[in-house]
Amino acid sequence: MNHFHDWGYLAAAFAGLTVTTVITRGSFFMLPARFALPAQVERALRYAPACALTAIVAQGVLTRNHEPFLSFENNQWWALLAGSIVFVKTRNMIAMITVGMVVFTVLRLWA
Amino acid sequence: MMPLAPAITVWGVVTGVAMVNAGLTIPAALLMTFTVFAGSAQLAVMPLLATGAPLPIVWVTALLVNLRFVIFAAASRWSFMHLPWPQRLLASYLNGDLGFALFSRRFAAADAGLGNDNGNPEQWGYFYGLAVVNWIVWQAGSVLGFLIGGLMPSDWGFELAAYLALTAVLIPMVQRMPAIAGIVSTAAVAVLGVGLPMRLGLLLAVLVGVTVALLGEAWRERRLART
Repeated sequence: MNHFHDWGYLAAAFAGLTVTTVITRGSFFMLPARFALPAQVERALRYAPACALTAIVAQGVLTRNHEPFLSFENNQWWALLAGSIVFVKTRNMIAMITVGMVVFTVLRLWA
Repeated sequence: MMPLAPAITVWGVVTGVAMVNAGLTIPAALLMTFTVFAGSAQLAVMPLLATGAPLPIVWVTALLVNLRFVIFAAASRWSFMHLPWPQRLLASYLNGDLGFALFSRRFAAADAGLGNDNGNPEQWGYFYGLAVVNWIVWQAGSVLGFLIGGLMPSDWGFELAAYLALTAVLIPMVQRMPAIAGIVSTAAVAVLGVGLPMRLGLLLAVLVGVTVALLGEAWRERRLART
C-alpha cells in the first residue's frame, strides 16, 4: 500500500508534526522564567538538528533497498557532491539544486 | 522583511516541489503545509512517510530537526513571556528561522533581559507583522511548488531535490571541527544502520553524532586552555 494515500496515517503524522513545531518554537515562551537551559544541554541542542538532517540525507543518498550503496555508480551521490560544492562557493540554493539535478540527469542518461 | 520575500518564496517553492516529487498528493501536501509549517522538518520526514515508518520515529525525527527553535525561544523569551497565553501560543507557531533572525537583530538588548521594555506592544507588532507576511509568502511559494512539482514526470528522480535542499539547510550549521566530526560519524552510523528495524538507525546515528561533536568540543576547549 502506498502510504501517501493512507489518510489516517497522514493525518496522525501531520497532527504530531504540528505539535513538534509549536512545542519547540514556543518552549521557552511557555516555561516559567526561572527555568534555564543547562550549558551542556544547550550544546547538545545546537548539534542535534545538523546530525538529524545528515542522517536523513545519508540514508536517502548513500543507501538503496535498506543496504549501503557506496559505489561509483551511485549517481545521487555525485549529484549531491557537485551541488554541495556549488552551495559552499555561492550560498545559492537554486544554483545548488540546478547543478545537482543536471549532474544527476546527465549521469542517469549517459553514464 | 520585504527584501527577504523572494528568498522565502524560493524556499517555499523548493519545499513544495520536493514534497510533491517525493510522492505526496497535492491535497495531502496542502494539508501538511497549512498545519505543520516547518520546511526543513517537512522535507526531513518525507522519506519516512513514503515508506510508512512508525509514527513515533517520524515525530522524533522532526523534533530533532526542530530543536534549533528551542535555542531561538530561549534567546527571545523575555519579549514574549509577559503576553497572555493565546498570544504566546500564536507566537510559538509563527516563530520560524527568519522571524527569529530579524526580531533578535532589532531587539537585541531586550533579548538579553537587560532592557526595560520587554514584551512591549512595539515588539509584538513587529514580530506579528513579520510573522504573518512570512507565513503568507511561504505558503504561496509552497502552493506554487506543488503545482510545478505536479507537472514533472516522476521518473526524472526529482526526489533528489529534497536531499539537495536539506543539504543547503545543513551546510551553514556545520562550520567548525566538532560539528564536522559529528555529521561524519552520523552519516557513517546512518548508512551502516539503515537495515535496523523501525528506522532506528536514524536515531542511533543522531545520538552518536551529537556525542562525537560534544566530545570534540570538550577536547578542543581543553587544548585551547592549555596553550
